[in-house]
Amino acid sequence: MPIGNWSRMVVGNTMRSSRHFILSAFGIVIGIATFVVFLASTEQVAAVLEKIFPVEQVQVVAPQVSLLGKDMSKKLDDAIVQKIKARPEVDPEDKQAVVPRMNLVFPAFGRGDFENNDLKFEVGGFADGIAPEFVANDKDPRISELFKDWDGDATDPHRVQCVPPLPDPTEEVIQSPRAPIAGKQGGPQLDADGKPVMVDGHPLYYNPCPEPDRYYCDEVDHRCHHRVPIVMSPAMIEVYNGQFAKSHGLPIADVDFVKFVTARGGLSAMRFSIGLGSTTVAGSNTQLKRPPRRVEAVLVGISPHAMPIGMTMPIQYIERWNREYLGQEAATAYSSIIVKLKDRHDIAVFAQWLQDDLDLRLEDSLGEKFATAIFYIRLLLVGISIVIIVISAINIGHNFFMQISERRRELGLLRAVGASRADVLLVVLGEAALIGLIGGALGILLGLGIGRGVDWWSAHRVARFPFKPDSWFHFKWWIVLGGLTCAAAFAVIGGYLPARKASRLEPAQALTQN
Amino acid sequence: MAPPPVVRLRDVTKSYGAGAARTQVLRGISLDVEQGELIALVGQSGSGKSTLLNIIGGLDHPDAGEVEVLGMDTQRASDSKRAQQRNESIGFVFQAFNLLDHLSVLDNVVLPASFSRKNGDIVERGKESLRRVGLSDFAQRKPGELSGGQKQRVAIARALFGQPKLLLCDEPTGNLDSETGKEVIEFFRELNAKDGVTLLIVTHERRVSSVAKRVIAMRDGMIVETTDEALAVAGGGPAG
Repeated sequence: MPIGNWSRMVVGNTMRSSRHFILSAFGIVIGIATFVVFLASTEQVAAVLEKIFPVEQVQVVAPQVSLLGKDMSKKLDDAIVQKIKARPEVDPEDKQAVVPRMNLVFPAFGRGDFENNDLKFEVGGFADGIAPEFVANDKDPRISELFKDWDGDATDPHRVQCVPPLPDPTEEVIQSPRAPIAGKQGGPQLDADGKPVMVDGHPLYYNPCPEPDRYYCDEVDHRCHHRVPIVMSPAMIEVYNGQFAKSHGLPIADVDFVKFVTARGGLSAMRFSIGLGSTTVAGSNTQLKRPPRRVEAVLVGISPHAMPIGMTMPIQYIERWNREYLGQEAATAYSSIIVKLKDRHDIAVFAQWLQDDLDLRLEDSLGEKFATAIFYIRLLLVGISIVIIVISAINIGHNFFMQISERRRELGLLRAVGASRADVLLVVLGEAALIGLIGGALGILLGLGIGRGVDWWSAHRVARFPFKPDSWFHFKWWIVLGGLTCAAAFAVIGGYLPARKASRLEPAQALTQN
Repeated sequence: MAPPPVVRLRDVTKSYGAGAARTQVLRGISLDVEQGELIALVGQSGSGKSTLLNIIGGLDHPDAGEVEVLGMDTQRASDSKRAQQRNESIGFVFQAFNLLDHLSVLDNVVLPASFSRKNGDIVERGKESLRRVGLSDFAQRKPGELSGGQKQRVAIARALFGQPKLLLCDEPTGNLDSETGKEVIEFFRELNAKDGVTLLIVTHERRVSSVAKRVIAMRDGMIVETTDEALAVAGGGPAG
């Protein structure tokens, strides 16, 4: 039977009886709607969880060991990094496969001015460093351009001499100074007698450096330095949006960080001071080798590679500062090592080797646990959908059996005018497949509608919370395609036995049916 | 050398049911139908006429015996080969018309083309078939809008659509009034005389027997072949 004739006959027969069509397709519509909604929702939840807990890498840490209050934990150093790189589970070609992190291990505190709010926050313990190349993989052009060790580049043409701010008798760590206003020179502002101009008890000072939104005048070497580039994790932004912004009446940060910064007048709005060796914590008794000093930093972007709660900068800054304030040993001990395995299934072998050979372990990954939970939830939901679809396939079979019975004479006639058994089988299977496809398409539309409805309800009725997604569903192409394929496949399976029965009808008997 | 028979049956038997309910419908039927014949197959209800017609047309299977139709051993041929033969060489006309009510008259006529790989202007051929039965103006009507006689003419047009060599008719006038039945029989006679189509007509209608070149009577699944005896079985002499 030529395919054109077959398709015309299949479409004509399917559209002939609306009762049969509705009875057969109803179950498929419901089944596929639940199938795509469940898959799309778990897909979206998994995506959100991966944003909170990146699961593509594992993190190697040293077990905490202390004796008489002294930290005796194993030190993560370059030798261990090299051993991990040599492991067969790690791709030797991938330069980002083994990446150490280093915590800032002495007190420091930050001071910033955001939306006219004087923000003070602890930095020591809430900052770490990582290889800039690792973060540059995020594909954010601003991060790629700015997140690097500027102080390590001695040839930076902006490293010109400057006059740093005068000491402020009322402030331990001053705000990052502004760029000069029109008609004023950068540096300390002096009156006609050469005395500092005071505003509200503070000496007036304008940033004298070229490109003042990126450079500041360092108080140690009296030269302009690029501000220390900082990235923060999406988790931090969500915590800010969900709790901090609301409680302090601050604007919600856009997911698109560039847009958010641009709306606030550029990168300069994201600058802040870090008082190295200073702290807001009373009773801090860390023995420091150097007196406190002030540097300036700037938030350059959002990165999933940043530490979840805190800030992350190029590791070279952390190494220099740890060495400067605590000595060489603090500058060579990593806090953790991020390892990307060639195959996630190698994780057990790798973890066993870490424990047996290096006395190290993998950090408990909440992401891993959530991913596993999501996997089982998805399995359960898809199972429920499949049960609905199987029931609808049985329903299709039942309806087709009834219809074959009603159409015996017609099927007999088709045999009489030249249809082979295979032709009849294919026509009936085609009708089942078409019902499945149309039912599947309607089910997908219903699923999309349900998704829209839930998203509208969520947007208008559910209060904002950290990581609240704009949409609870991600209808990926494979979910839609899978829904259609599943619908057609199960409809064909349901229609097979009736089709077989139809093809085996004896035409002579079928034609004599009353 | 004489052309081979269009239909050749040897010792064909057929039964329905099993065990005590088994009914022997055909008992060793042997028959040759020559090209260009117009045969009336007569007999009382249950004598096996329709079963014999269905076996010849490939709509039913014999239990035993040889069945050769248009040179094809239908017992050995595949289902698709037999379907192709029905599509290209055999036409059926049934007592109950068997038109599909959801299709137009023209679509009913061209239905066999759905299963044919032959190219050509199907619609034109369908219209030509309708013209031959005098229903050119009814092409877009639905069967439900036609009288019984018109429906049967549509069924005949469908049977003629593939220009068959063999036309098998099962009580074609059974549901028609006598005047319409007469027209149909006359149409068959002309078809046989002018186009040389071989016709095998199962009938109770004496008028059919009168135009038949041979009348075959059946009783209890067996053939009584002479024309005179057959007419007696059919219940009377030729109609006037």
